[in-house]
Amino acid sequence: MIRVDHVAGGAFVLLGIVVFAISGDLPFGTMSAPGAGMMPKLMAGLMMAFALVLIAGAGSSPALASIDWSDRTHAALVVAATAAATALYRPLGFLITMSLLIFSLLVVVERRNLVRAAAYSIGLTVFAYWLFGIALKSPLERGLLWF
Amino acid sequence: METFDSLMLGFSVALRPDVLWYAFLGCVVGTLVGMLPGIGPLAGISILLPLTFGLDATKAIVMLAGIYYGSQYGGSTTSILLRIPGEAASVMTCIDGNAMAKKGRAGAALCIAAVGSFIAGTFGVVVLTLVAPPLASFALRFGPPEFTALLVLGLIFLAYMSTSSLPRTLLMAAFGLLLGTIGIDTMSGHFRFSFDLPELGDGIGIVPVAVGLFGLGEILATPSHQVTSEIPHPKLRELWPSRQEWRESAMPIARGSVLGFLIGIIPGSAHIISSFMSYALEKRVSKHPEEFGHGAVAGVAGPESANNAASTGAFVPMLALGIPTGPVTAVLIAALLIHGVPPGPTLVSDHPKVFWGFVASMYVGNLMLLALNLPLVGLFVNLLRVPYAYLYPLIIMFCVIGVYEVNHSIVDVWIMLIMGVVGYGLKKFGLDPAPLVLGLVISPLFEMSLRQSLLMSNGTWTIFFERPIAATLLAICLGLLALAALSHIRRRKDWRGRLAEAEAGDGH
Repeated sequence: MIRVDHVAGGAFVLLGIVVFAISGDLPFGTMSAPGAGMMPKLMAGLMMAFALVLIAGAGSSPALASIDWSDRTHAALVVAATAAATALYRPLGFLITMSLLIFSLLVVVERRNLVRAAAYSIGLTVFAYWLFGIALKSPLERGLLWF
Repeated sequence: METFDSLMLGFSVALRPDVLWYAFLGCVVGTLVGMLPGIGPLAGISILLPLTFGLDATKAIVMLAGIYYGSQYGGSTTSILLRIPGEAASVMTCIDGNAMAKKGRAGAALCIAAVGSFIAGTFGVVVLTLVAPPLASFALRFGPPEFTALLVLGLIFLAYMSTSSLPRTLLMAAFGLLLGTIGIDTMSGHFRFSFDLPELGDGIGIVPVAVGLFGLGEILATPSHQVTSEIPHPKLRELWPSRQEWRESAMPIARGSVLGFLIGIIPGSAHIISSFMSYALEKRVSKHPEEFGHGAVAGVAGPESANNAASTGAFVPMLALGIPTGPVTAVLIAALLIHGVPPGPTLVSDHPKVFWGFVASMYVGNLMLLALNLPLVGLFVNLLRVPYAYLYPLIIMFCVIGVYEVNHSIVDVWIMLIMGVVGYGLKKFGLDPAPLVLGLVISPLFEMSLRQSLLMSNGTWTIFFERPIAATLLAICLGLLALAALSHIRRRKDWRGRLAEAEAGDGH
């Protein structure tokens, strides 16, 4: 049976292999003159070693099927909304992007009332703009629409 | 006498109206951060870090530290009233605090938690005042081999004290150390893993990683229907404990203060561990251990005092040695570095106003928190009534603003998002992200010390065993590894196993 630690350990072993593969051009140097590649390769090696220990003792970890993924839809929607907001942040600016982010989370993820969600998202974003952009003089993105 | 004069200098800084205002702001935000489930002190400090860029170093560190120790006060409110730990260190308070609330003694439990936190926090600051300066003087003898050994000891200690297994913790620390190598190698000028992105030249910042792992990652794993908003509302007149309750809490507060401070100076998530150990100690010394779990006053007073004393104790190695004992102090070190004040042995001599102003502000901050947490508890509780569905979009917005404003870099926001997904995955697979953050922070210092040591010794590893301080530190490392191996062989469930069980049982 596949256990949680089999997958977790395997993922880190794979990551270690990738690190070794892409750090080929970094010189390891010598013990008396360590190079730029010494620390990454040492750490990738250590990481793989601990991952192998994890795999070796995986028998006592829970079965992979026992992981509760009931929150996956919520997580995927939040990630999608935040990714869209990150992509739009510079072109659209703070006010529009953040209003849209909060509105979409409330309506799409939380299924809240449209009017309340719109009022809450606009009100909150305007307050945050005043707090950060005006009161605390933190330069927020204005975007193409000059907001 | 010299310490007293220096402390007076500190008070002359801490009692300035502008510094007082930022200490107050930190305490209020810390209380809120501690109370709200899903946002801990680390996320709170990371998100608000960019707001301190316009401040001088003293005000910045006073405000950020206020958030840290304020969150220890605030965490108890949610634990007692909702049986949900607002932050991890309050897990143990859930058990007896909530049982007291069910008996109609919520007010008394909140008062005992606040007074215990105040006494322990103040005790911690007094010892910090006395211990940190001589420790800093001693650390001036440290060279690269000693720093390398000290950082190794920190990681081993973290792994030993951690509730998850030694290989899991060290795996995450190695991953953090690896992430810390991204960017330009300061000794040779080589670009490492930057994939032609100029933003990665300076490496991965601690703020996007910490906010992603602990802020966004927590939100991803917490759908709103899992968070309750039915909360009792204690009245002001119900807050005063009875004479019997005061008597029962006196010694647990004293023991929790001493135990918490001692654990606090050890690397690891000390404030979490200290509350569990204090609970175990109180149960062991109690004449009525059967009352624990059913509303024992000592079960609230001890752990709450211990976690506050531990959060103060964690400042000792941070200020005196420049070594973080956990992810929160790691972010505080990053904050000081951003303001051009390197913490460590020279902090007391080079920046006395920052050091002593910070220490003095903690005396004032603890008083402020006592004043805030008792009369205003009803006001704070109202915030918990805001449905979580409306609260987490606000937190995500703060996460994005906070991360973006550090360097005005959209790459940092992408890193935060990736780290959020990584944090969610780590949580599912039972891997603790705290050692990752610690590894990321110490990575540059560790690599520099290690390579300088090897250069000094012409490539001979024995340099670490020839110098007495480094050899002693490494001997302690070996001792800890041997203890961990022994515990594994015996398969005995020690206090770490029981803490893991308690976290799993009450953490949801």
